[in-house]
Amino acid sequence: MDRRSVLALGAGVAAAPLLTACAGASTTGGGGEGTVTLLSNQFSPVEERQRFEAILKARVTAVPVAFNQVETGIFASTLQSQVDSGKPQISLAGAQHGDLAPHASRLIDLDDVLGRLGDRGFAPELVELAKLGGATTKYIPWMQASYVLAVNKRALEWLPSGADVQKLTYDQLLDWATAGRQGNGGKPIFGLPAGAKGLYHRFLQGYLVPSFSGGQITTYRSADAVAGWQYLKELWAQTAPASTGWDNMQEPLQRGEVLVGFDHSARLVGAPAAKPDDWLMVPAPAGPKGLGYMAVVVGLGIPNGAPEADRAKDVIESLTTPEVQLDVLRQNAFFPVTSAPVPADLPPAVALAEAAISAQRDAPNAILSLPPVGLGARDGEVAQVFKDTFKEILIDGRDVKAVVDAQGARLDGIVAEAKVPCWAPDPARAECRVA
Amino acid sequence: MTRRRVLVQLGCVLVTLFMGLPLYLIALASFTSRDALNAFPLPLLPTAVSGDTMNTFLRTTGIVGGMLNSLTVGLSTVALATLLGVPGGYALARFAFRGRDAYQVVMLLTRALPIVVLSVPLAKIFIDAGLYDTTYAVTLLHTALALPSTILITAAVFAGVSVEQEEAAMVFGAHRWAAFLRIVAPQALPGIAAAAVFTFVTSWNEVLGASILTLNRRTLPAHVLATLADSPLAFRFVGGLVLVLPAIVFIALVRRYLLNMWGTTLR
Repeated sequence: MDRRSVLALGAGVAAAPLLTACAGASTTGGGGEGTVTLLSNQFSPVEERQRFEAILKARVTAVPVAFNQVETGIFASTLQSQVDSGKPQISLAGAQHGDLAPHASRLIDLDDVLGRLGDRGFAPELVELAKLGGATTKYIPWMQASYVLAVNKRALEWLPSGADVQKLTYDQLLDWATAGRQGNGGKPIFGLPAGAKGLYHRFLQGYLVPSFSGGQITTYRSADAVAGWQYLKELWAQTAPASTGWDNMQEPLQRGEVLVGFDHSARLVGAPAAKPDDWLMVPAPAGPKGLGYMAVVVGLGIPNGAPEADRAKDVIESLTTPEVQLDVLRQNAFFPVTSAPVPADLPPAVALAEAAISAQRDAPNAILSLPPVGLGARDGEVAQVFKDTFKEILIDGRDVKAVVDAQGARLDGIVAEAKVPCWAPDPARAECRVA
Repeated sequence: MTRRRVLVQLGCVLVTLFMGLPLYLIALASFTSRDALNAFPLPLLPTAVSGDTMNTFLRTTGIVGGMLNSLTVGLSTVALATLLGVPGGYALARFAFRGRDAYQVVMLLTRALPIVVLSVPLAKIFIDAGLYDTTYAVTLLHTALALPSTILITAAVFAGVSVEQEEAAMVFGAHRWAAFLRIVAPQALPGIAAAAVFTFVTSWNEVLGASILTLNRRTLPAHVLATLADSPLAFRFVGGLVLVLPAIVFIALVRRYLLNMWGTTLR
């Protein structure tokens, strides 16, 4: 080591701070004057994000929008720290109902915007949901989605006789998964997104429990719900064990690891994308009480003290126009929240999902479930109760009745403390409790 | 060649494979067409070469900006941590002071609290200070995270440089500074370089703090990591390669200074 190299290293080290002469390069195209920063936990996959950015660029021309995609945890802490510091840089927050709910007090009232958008035709139940349990509108519905089954047509050969794949019951699904496994050389054909980031708790909250017990919270400890979990235990025995590693179903379906999978529509459309003719998308099965299904609502809210609140309202207006709603449907498979008519020329995979979701919603025995309403910060805890019940019964193999009783008590503690009225499908009583 | 040398060579090859094979597989998958990635078993040689996924990924908004920010933050962190940490390490190695052992342990406390616990207050402090959403903020945080390791590594290195040589230099008329720069620093340089590599990699890989302290000027990992986790497999390989390459380049550049570490001479 001679002196020169010491000097060279020293010079290099000294030069580094010069690099910081600017505070950093923009990674969202935002930060400039008049730009609306849209913080969102939606459209996380690379291509979805790119497609949405293209839609923003093409359709929201009046106001520059910086789309800032973050994961849910960062979304929550950023929104909290920004608003609580009194100097937020975010003008618009777009997230699922349940992710916005804990921040109701940090969002401004949007009744005026909703009034201006009278011609959009928002579904009344969504408008009600957007109040986040209060009296005023806290977010404007942005898009919605649901969960359905994707079916590779190869699996149809094992469909039990007499079963209509468009109108399955849970018992038929079990018979089908069992027969399919036998016919497939012992390899399971059914999969669930039960990975760490999978959305299987929505299957439990919105599908299994309501279909068997008719409720989501009040009936948690009922004998009907126990029967549902007992059923799931049998189904789980025929389910691909690799399910516990899957965060979305479209990839294992595409790879052919399983042939039938349940997931969020946006996490399924990739499976039939390449060969739509080989695939079906069908409504979820029906149980003894009906066809329980869950509607996912994504909304746009404006944080207190947003630097560009007026422009953000313009952006909301643009994002709810029929053109943008249908662009998002075509490209990212999230469905309109407005009365925008669904066009006939959808991409085949999206059309499959659309048909399944409509059929599910319009089924005569449909039971609409919502993600927890008005629970604020405790929203995630409810999901955790369902996940823990799943784990203790299916993975740890504990006694169903005992687990449901214990977890039901925990759930009751959460909702009792929150003191909120029940949400669909439970009856809206004065206070929601687990019976 | 003796048997011993063959064994050493074999060990080297194995270690190289252990480090190199995953890199090769990631690179291979990054430049394979997405359809071919669904095949089973995957070929181990490039058979379906395609730059599509890489191209799509690199055209994502903010990749270039994010990489610039990451480099800025990484290099500034190295500079700042070296500037503050090397004197700290020197003091720990050379001077006996009351509570030195306790001090060494307490230093590690910055790593004891998970950032997720500190996130909201930390962000509020930086917002109030007007530093939020700048590379300065992330640099400061990363320096705080890297300092304990810089101090402890350099302290170990300085302890390995003999005090007698330093004293001899001073006897012959060198000032304390000159003695440090001409006698101690050259001998300690490999250790300092090692600390710098460690610091750079720490900063390069840190996601949570960077995500919390920035909004429109994110570092590369903060910008893409969440995205990648939810993206199809093909993008995860591409992202992994893009994230790992700069760190490897940095280590390759610093490698020549890395002749010894922990004060043990290998020359």
